[in-house]
Amino acid sequence: MRRPAPSLSMRPWRHAVARRFACGALAALLAVTSPLAVHAQGNGLTKPVILPAFDPSRQSCTAPNGLRKELVFVQDNEREFVQGIGHGLALAASERGLKFRALRSNNDPALMIRQVNGLRADRTGAIVVAPIDPPSLSPSLKRLMGSGAYIGAIVPPPAITILNAPQYRTGAVLAEAAAAHIRSHLGGKAKVVLLTHDNLQFLAPRFTAMRDTLRQLPGVIIVADISPATVDKAGGYRTMKMILLAQPKVDVVLGADTVVLGALQALREAGKARPDQFLGGIDGESEAVAELKKAGSPYKASISLASPIFGYAMGRFASDWMNGKTVPQAMDSLPKALTIANIAQYERDVADPRSVYADPRRRNSYLKMYGNICFASRDQYINFPWSSERK
Amino acid sequence: MARSRLALGVTGGLVVGFLALFVIVAMTVWLGERSSTLFQEAALQRDTRTAAVELRDALRTAESSQRGYILTANEIYLAPYDTAKARARPQMSSFERLVIKASRPPLFLARLRAAVDEKIREMDQSVALKRAGSDADALSIIRSNRGKALMDEINVYLYGAILDADERSTLSEVERQNNAAMLRLISIVGAFVIVLVVAAVAFTVYRNRQEITQARDEVRAANFSLEERVERRTQELALARERAEILLSEVNHRVANSLQLVAALVHMQSKTVTDESAKGALKETETRIQAISQIHKSLYTSSDVTSVALNDYLGVMLENLGLAMRNDGHTAQLSSELDSVILPTDQSISLGVVATELVTNAFKYAYPTGQSGDIRVILRKLSEESAELVVQDDGIGLGATTRPGGTGLGSKIITAMAAALKTNVEYINRTPGTAARLVFSTAQPA
Repeated sequence: MRRPAPSLSMRPWRHAVARRFACGALAALLAVTSPLAVHAQGNGLTKPVILPAFDPSRQSCTAPNGLRKELVFVQDNEREFVQGIGHGLALAASERGLKFRALRSNNDPALMIRQVNGLRADRTGAIVVAPIDPPSLSPSLKRLMGSGAYIGAIVPPPAITILNAPQYRTGAVLAEAAAAHIRSHLGGKAKVVLLTHDNLQFLAPRFTAMRDTLRQLPGVIIVADISPATVDKAGGYRTMKMILLAQPKVDVVLGADTVVLGALQALREAGKARPDQFLGGIDGESEAVAELKKAGSPYKASISLASPIFGYAMGRFASDWMNGKTVPQAMDSLPKALTIANIAQYERDVADPRSVYADPRRRNSYLKMYGNICFASRDQYINFPWSSERK
Repeated sequence: MARSRLALGVTGGLVVGFLALFVIVAMTVWLGERSSTLFQEAALQRDTRTAAVELRDALRTAESSQRGYILTANEIYLAPYDTAKARARPQMSSFERLVIKASRPPLFLARLRAAVDEKIREMDQSVALKRAGSDADALSIIRSNRGKALMDEINVYLYGAILDADERSTLSEVERQNNAAMLRLISIVGAFVIVLVVAAVAFTVYRNRQEITQARDEVRAANFSLEERVERRTQELALARERAEILLSEVNHRVANSLQLVAALVHMQSKTVTDESAKGALKETETRIQAISQIHKSLYTSSDVTSVALNDYLGVMLENLGLAMRNDGHTAQLSSELDSVILPTDQSISLGVVATELVTNAFKYAYPTGQSGDIRVILRKLSEESAELVVQDDGIGLGATTRPGGTGLGSKIITAMAAALKTNVEYINRTPGTAARLVFSTAQPA
């Protein structure tokens, strides 16, 4: 059975962090002061650590030998979000003189494993992967890192650089936008539908944040808190049709962009879509962005994780790694609430990731980097569900 | 006017007060009925909510027992599983019945029934596979997530029903509170209206009483003014009358004086006349003028010029006449018996002239010269409307009298005067003497 592909912005690792803190404050303190002190030989860092901020001026080490100067993106499917990563990677590879190609696993974990194993055999210097089934893929990735290749992972470990998003903060940003709308347009009262993503447990903090935020509004009732059977537009559509049978009047719908777009379709078919509704999603899907631009559309916000921008950053890290430079052990893609007011600037930014990365102020509004690692210290790779959030 | 306004105001006030009372009573009755209905609706919503919660609880219990059995193969889970499942089915029917009774059948009802049935089938199937030793198949059912999806769907429907029941209950409660507040408000407003009406009626009565008092004062003032005017007018009339009486007295006085002057002139003329018959005629004329003058004297000395106290007038006149006749050498004794008789002035003049003529005749002709006798004048009241004047003597009588000096004028005057009095003089022979009798009316002219 196929496991659903993680959407880019996934990985709060709250439970892991909590366990880590349960192990003892002393261990945590040691981890902060010296990440290298806690590691497992050949297995990377398996216990959660709190990573310091990335220091780009850290002394470089030796470059890996015998690897081809090639960057490969192993993508789980062809979602728009993943395509954005590929766009950023390709742009960075082009700048740095790396050969670039993308391998599509079509949501097939076994195929992905074979593809990764093939890359190790080919002595590929760097890959970025969006894992389908992290546990089954993990051994292949470890072996690849053992060969000295750079591995950037979109959320699940293991990887030289793990890309994650602050899930709680992501959910909170969306919920705060909804709360502001409820206060200003709905008189503080609203019937809310949460379309969750139960089959990816690490996304749970998003919805925890939404519940926590909406709980602050006494007039808000969460009339449905449900995970569509499939997290896509059709799933959102079917679920919303079902919800409308029990709740004909819905004021707010929150979830991933794709399911919320499906919900919007159901609302429109039922004649229940209203301009004063707030539909908001996460991922910054282009269809969601297009809805944002429509006058009178219930779609009011999309939380974007700007995949071309962090894809571009990971492409640069791959190049630096192969040149023996230090790279971040982890990176947050910071959530940005897209609204009709800022959508134009956002579109300019994702169309030109290089300019954003070159401008520290703009880069810091999208990305936050943690820890340092290079070829010589590659046994300190992250091999636990990392998150910058401790909550 | 004021009374009708008072009646209108009081009636209007009573009508308004009655209406206010009616509204209060009607609202109380209606709100009571409404409260009862709302209470029943709230009870129904509560039962619906309870049925939804219990159905959800039964399904959750069944699901957790199913999972426990499949995970552990421990049959300890089967008893609660069967119990919960047995509880779920009647709860579903109960929920259906209540939710239809409480409102229009919800759109999800058929889907809920189907989802519950499918959920129970899914659990039964997995349990049966586990019992048959097909653990992998049982687990594959669980892994399909169909059970979770069904439970999610059931939760959405039941939670929707719970929220709907809560909202309806809240609305019922809000309406009950609003109704109670409305009743309070209406009672307060009604009481205020009634107080206002009572105050308005009291004010109307007070104002009416004030107006009556004011009107009475105005009438009293008008009466007082009228009385003043009447009194002033009366005084003016009295003054005018007094002036008229004075003027009339003055006229009578002047007439009397003039007649006296005429009588004196006649008397002086008679002194200068040598002819005895002419002297006698002048003397008679003087006597007649004196008689008329005496009437005017009586009038200007009296307060009443329209009538004359005949006894007073005749008394004075006879006294003067007797004196005059004695001065002329007549010896007869004149006496009178005069009842109190009031006669109009004109008739009194006529009667006075008649009396003068009769008495003068008696002096002249009743007793021969040198013979003394009595002459009696009697004025007697016969009734309220008639009286008689009698002149008697004890003389020689009518048959013996030749009256050589007479001109017949006296008789003509007597006849004329008697005619003016609408009567005549009756001469009665007495033995001795003669009586002349005149019955006249004393009735005052209308």
